Amino acid sequence: MLVKNDFRRLDEAGLRERLGHPDQATTDKILDHLDRNCLAFLAHSPFLCLATSDGDGNADCSPRGDYPGFVRALDEKTIVLPDRLGNKLADSFRNILDNGHVGLVCFVPGMTETLRINGTAYVTDDPGLLAMLEQDHVTPSLATVITIDEVYLHCGRALVRSGLWDPEMQDLAAEVPSSGTIWAEASGYAPGVAQVIDDAMTGAYKTLY
Amino acid sequence: MVRESTDIVSIELAGPRGEPLPPWEPGAHIDVQLVTRQQRQYSLCGDPADRSTYRIAVLREEFSRGASMYVHDYLRVGRTVHAGTPRNLFPLLSSERYLLLAAGIGITPILPMARALAERGAHWSLNYAVRDGAQFPFQAELDALGDRVTVNAPDRAGRLDLAQFLAEPRPGTAVYCCGPARFTDAVEEAMAAWPRGGLHLERFEPKIGVTRPNEPFTVRCVRSEVTVDVPAELSMLKALEIAGVAVPGSCLRGVCGSCAVTVLGGEPEHRDSLTSDEHSATMYPCVSRSLTPSLEIDV
Repeated sequence: MLVKNDFRRLDEAGLRERLGHPDQATTDKILDHLDRNCLAFLAHSPFLCLATSDGDGNADCSPRGDYPGFVRALDEKTIVLPDRLGNKLADSFRNILDNGHVGLVCFVPGMTETLRINGTAYVTDDPGLLAMLEQDHVTPSLATVITIDEVYLHCGRALVRSGLWDPEMQDLAAEVPSSGTIWAEASGYAPGVAQVIDDAMTGAYKTLY
Repeated sequence: MVRESTDIVSIELAGPRGEPLPPWEPGAHIDVQLVTRQQRQYSLCGDPADRSTYRIAVLREEFSRGASMYVHDYLRVGRTVHAGTPRNLFPLLSSERYLLLAAGIGITPILPMARALAERGAHWSLNYAVRDGAQFPFQAELDALGDRVTVNAPDRAGRLDLAQFLAEPRPGTAVYCCGPARFTDAVEEAMAAWPRGGLHLERFEPKIGVTRPNEPFTVRCVRSEVTVDVPAELSMLKALEIAGVAVPGSCLRGVCGSCAVTVLGGEPEHRDSLTSDEHSATMYPCVSRSLTPSLEIDV
């Protein structure tokens, strides 16, 4: 579809020429720890995206979700993220082993602002820590501990513009190929397999922990 | 909300329109679901005659699963929580005499029992074990009950030596006990020589026990005519839910009793903290499993 991917590439000077510089007010709200408001945000957040990269800088971003407050603040500089049942690719974990720097963007349903947290992570199986993260009678087998470098509340324009929390926007989902279709085509399976995968996923989504 | 001690708050819950709440008896508890969707059980510790509010008390547990921290840090007057209808797995039964034993936050179901027994003019006494005799929950309310209440703390009546205190069985005395696992376990052990049925326990933590490794088994749900395979890695409750024969569950730790089912065939392996008779036909599928390759249940 794309004719040729060799558009003009900007450097920082070019970027600033287009964008200008951030207001003092914007940079002032960047903290190096969680204050009480950020703690309250996290305590109500059931979903985030976790960005990691490997030692060569190859990036990855993956969704994490659970009951609100599933990311536990151990103190104002430390948060812990339980690992739940997933696809076992361990993309994030393998990156963190290579390169501890991570970036999170945390969401609260209905709230347009998001909380961004950047920090340094490691993976643990400490039994005492894992016990605190029990949900549905299942204790996770791994957790990611993150020491915070930067925290800030990201303004809500992206979510306002996108209408992300608008229930009427959910009619979009019906227009996207189902997970079975995407999976079957990507894997080169016979067309009939898509429905089988969709049914299996419906079953699998009942086992969340 | 009232701060009862450094780490305990009591909370009064009222209906959204101030309507009278369903009645309850001492020993009852309710399910409370927070805005975080976490659900926990709390004993009612207020006055059953007051139908306008329920009172619960919550201990802040830093190293627990988070709901109590949420209550302490974020629940405020005027906010909404969802509460279920009271259930009572710890009712006061008729007895000649009563000995009430509580430790820490375990005072919550015991306090209304003590008040009810005092009103009835019953023969009763209460020993309450606390860490700090200078500040513990419901101090004024306990003091008002008079000298039938002994507060056991190093700086009060001294520590309670359960083994010594309970060594001699007291026929005709019903014991009602609630507290952390180490307390309820110690009471159970100290009462080994007492007649069966004299001890009534409410645990809010699972009984510490060793269970055999999980084995897969099959459950035949007789009424719904469904057979469900329970793999080793899933609880029976979860397997039933996935199979579409959901049984209501709440604590998922074998302490609240809400998921009780009746066993019609096979032999359950009781892993809960409620069952005292190992041959009981009532089982709690959130934690309990099967000793036989298959079970039949009245579901």
